[in-house]
Amino acid sequence: MSTAHHAAGALPHEPEKATLEGKNKILGFWFFLGGETVLFGTLFATFIALRNQVPEGPTAQELFNLSTVALSTFILLTSSLTSVLATMALHRHKLNALLGWMAVTVLFGLAFLGLEIYEFTEYVSEGHTFTSSAFSTSFYTLVGFHGGHVLFGVIWITLLILQGMKKGLTVVTAPKFYVAGLYWHFIDVVWVFIFTVVYLMGKVG
Amino acid sequence: MAHAHVKRYSGIMDWLTTVDHKKIAILYFTAGGFFFLLGGLEALLIRLQLMYPDQHLFVGDTYNQILTMHGTTMIFLAAMPLLFGFMNAVVPLQIGARDVAFPFVNSLGFWLFFAGGVLMNTSWFLGGAPDAGWTGYAPLSTDAYTGRGTDFYVLGLQIAGIGTLIGGINFLVTIVNMRAPGMTFMRMPLFTWTSFITSTIILFAFPAITVGLVELMFDRIFNGNFFEVSKGGNVVLWQHLFWIFGHPEVYILILPAFGIISEVVSTFSKKRLFGYSSMVFATILIGFLSFMVWAHHMFTVGMGPVANAIFGIATMTIAVPTGVKIFNWLFTLWGGQIRFTTANLWAIGFIPTFVIGGMTGVMLAVPPADYQYHDSYFVIAHFHYVIVGGLIFSVFAGLYYWWPKMFGRLLNEGLGKLHFWTFFIGFHLCFFPQHFLGLMGMPRRYFTFMPGEGLDEGNFLSTIGALLMGVGTIVLLVNIVATSVKKPHAAADPWDARTLEWSIPSPAPEYNFKQTPLVRGLDAFWKEKMAGNKEMTPAEPLGPIHMPSPSILPFIMSIGLFIAGYGFMYRTFVVSIIGIGITLICMLLRSVFDDHGFHIEVEELQDKGAKA
Amino acid sequence: MSAHQESSSAAGQRHRHEGPKNHYLSYIVSIILTMLAFAAVIYGDLNRAFLLWFLVILALAQVIFQLAYWMHMKDRGHTYPILFLAMGFVTALTAVAAAVYWMWW
Repeated sequence: MSTAHHAAGALPHEPEKATLEGKNKILGFWFFLGGETVLFGTLFATFIALRNQVPEGPTAQELFNLSTVALSTFILLTSSLTSVLATMALHRHKLNALLGWMAVTVLFGLAFLGLEIYEFTEYVSEGHTFTSSAFSTSFYTLVGFHGGHVLFGVIWITLLILQGMKKGLTVVTAPKFYVAGLYWHFIDVVWVFIFTVVYLMGKVG
Repeated sequence: MAHAHVKRYSGIMDWLTTVDHKKIAILYFTAGGFFFLLGGLEALLIRLQLMYPDQHLFVGDTYNQILTMHGTTMIFLAAMPLLFGFMNAVVPLQIGARDVAFPFVNSLGFWLFFAGGVLMNTSWFLGGAPDAGWTGYAPLSTDAYTGRGTDFYVLGLQIAGIGTLIGGINFLVTIVNMRAPGMTFMRMPLFTWTSFITSTIILFAFPAITVGLVELMFDRIFNGNFFEVSKGGNVVLWQHLFWIFGHPEVYILILPAFGIISEVVSTFSKKRLFGYSSMVFATILIGFLSFMVWAHHMFTVGMGPVANAIFGIATMTIAVPTGVKIFNWLFTLWGGQIRFTTANLWAIGFIPTFVIGGMTGVMLAVPPADYQYHDSYFVIAHFHYVIVGGLIFSVFAGLYYWWPKMFGRLLNEGLGKLHFWTFFIGFHLCFFPQHFLGLMGMPRRYFTFMPGEGLDEGNFLSTIGALLMGVGTIVLLVNIVATSVKKPHAAADPWDARTLEWSIPSPAPEYNFKQTPLVRGLDAFWKEKMAGNKEMTPAEPLGPIHMPSPSILPFIMSIGLFIAGYGFMYRTFVVSIIGIGITLICMLLRSVFDDHGFHIEVEELQDKGAKA
Repeated sequence: MSAHQESSSAAGQRHRHEGPKNHYLSYIVSIILTMLAFAAVIYGDLNRAFLLWFLVILALAQVIFQLAYWMHMKDRGHTYPILFLAMGFVTALTAVAAAVYWMWW
């Protein structure tokens, strides 16, 4: 266990990796993402198994509106870009740019969530509810879990912005920002699979 | 350097707030030990019911509850915590580290496991325990066929499972990032290697059961349709998800056991482990293959001959690296100066017992044969041979071996040998006949059998064996109590052993190593001894040691999820939100209030005669 | 352990190397791959099996870009992340195989 020793005033080049605690947090978070890969993987497996099981309610082909999905995808993808710009600001030790890009990321995340809530309410009014069929239950569980992850990320990054405003950029706060960035990219990676497997393949049939 | 205000608790607050891996190990052993006794009691009740044909001690649903809780408790609440206890007590010391990578998360892992275990066991008082078997197959486990008991199973395991997952991540980062200078991967002791691979398996297996339990919970509580056939659901899905977790789970149980045997056998043969590289490679291969064989639990469900053939052959291949390990242990013993301490008796008793269990495993791996063995006592005999004969024997070996390092006292050898012989003989008496009971057609999970079917003698003998195991366990408890009233007297290295944990005092000091050691080869401590040194060469000068602060937050977070569990179970979601809210707020507090820890100063260390 | 000490010129070189260009490139590539996928479904008159594989490959390509550039997996010091994410992916694949081949008969 060591505390950070750094030259007075100067932040090291990659501040998130400057301490043992920082390196541990980053490595630990990557391992966690490995586990999350399996978590989403099994949710995908469940969805793939049950996607054609619609004894009641509308099918995927009838339900999905690809323009909404395209918009959501564009929003999330752009938010992933803004979060990587935040990480670049982190490496350039520019606190205000870092916090600014993180705030933009949060806004895009909220837009994504808003669109998804709108989408779900539309589906419910069309008879596609959580309890309608095995397809619908697995749809809402998979896409909902992803949405839950986005929501958690939005709250987490917002709280980090507040922390950053108070504590600034140090070798203690840097790993937190970096790890939140990794998380955000990961949920965009998951979304790539969701729009492909759920929506696009759903439309194909 | 500014020092944080030193927070030191004593008494019960010390245990509730500790982030010290050595104390957390003791917490795991205590809780795991308690649940082992509970699971053992459940086993005795099963065996008492089956002592004679057509008894009416525990029948019907009561029997189902006892057998479900016996399995669930033993695997999740006894075996896993005991292994985490060893990993916590030993791994940081073996790699020359001062703690694990995430001490706070370590504590959280323990309290989550404990909360889940307590939650599940309150079911006995709240309408009945889970009764769908430890495997909880759908549709039996859906709310169409079982009551609130299964909710306890779903939520208790979910909470405990999160604890295990974060514990696995903790040990992965610890082993990768915190090894002492000079300790390359190929100089790590085997117990650390097996802990590393076990943690990897945990990382990838637990999310599968997390998802399975979520799906079961959604079906039960929110009217989901994953396993609701009339709405398009499929019950085989549960089996896949459960066993994609469940098979790697049993390797999670056995790999650390293999690590313990490697340590014990080489120490008490006074010889380095034979074939170290092949042991490492075999461990990695077993870890990988463990994810490729899960459907051997599903041979009879109807996947068809192609699937059955693939999984049957894959299962048999695991015997190969396992066999490599067995031979390496035998070659380590061969030609060594063997000392038959209690620890070594357990290790030597493990070898033939586990081999028998492995053999019946290969028999079960043949799909057409398995159509006969499936759901019979043959399967029960197999897995008790590998889990009890494999895991529990190793746990006992490890207890006798590392007890002095943890408690500064040596368990009594005379009582130890009595423990060994009663438990060992009792074990074989209990489970060997069960192979034949199974071959004669006795099904598992049945609360009775009829007289005159040739099953009477086997069941009677089996129960006597179980009682003898109970006696052995009592002897162990007596040993523990008798030892604990003595004053700590153990030497740093009572066994003349080979690895780093024996180079520091017994019990280990709070900071583990006054100075991080320099590792010069495999069996780091033995290497120094052979070079004529009494101690390890330090890799750093004496300096103040930074320690993490204790915290009550992990305990509170676990209480939060415990409360949330009840909320879900009783469908009172306000309570769930409050419970989850408590946990989330604690996470926020942890993030906002950075822990700067505290320092142990050089003067305190120099009192203990360190070289500067 | 002491912090990472870098001479300022070396740090400056690292900064230049780590310009935003690669990240914007990944963004454009991701958009193109996404648009291709959507276009194939909406307008393409393709054989179903081929279309499904095409979509999977596009998704994998996009994910690899994002992992390499945005999550720095192409940078050194990422052996463990690559290894463990790959292992997680393989495990996930076995679950998908179970769902596809061994659930309905």
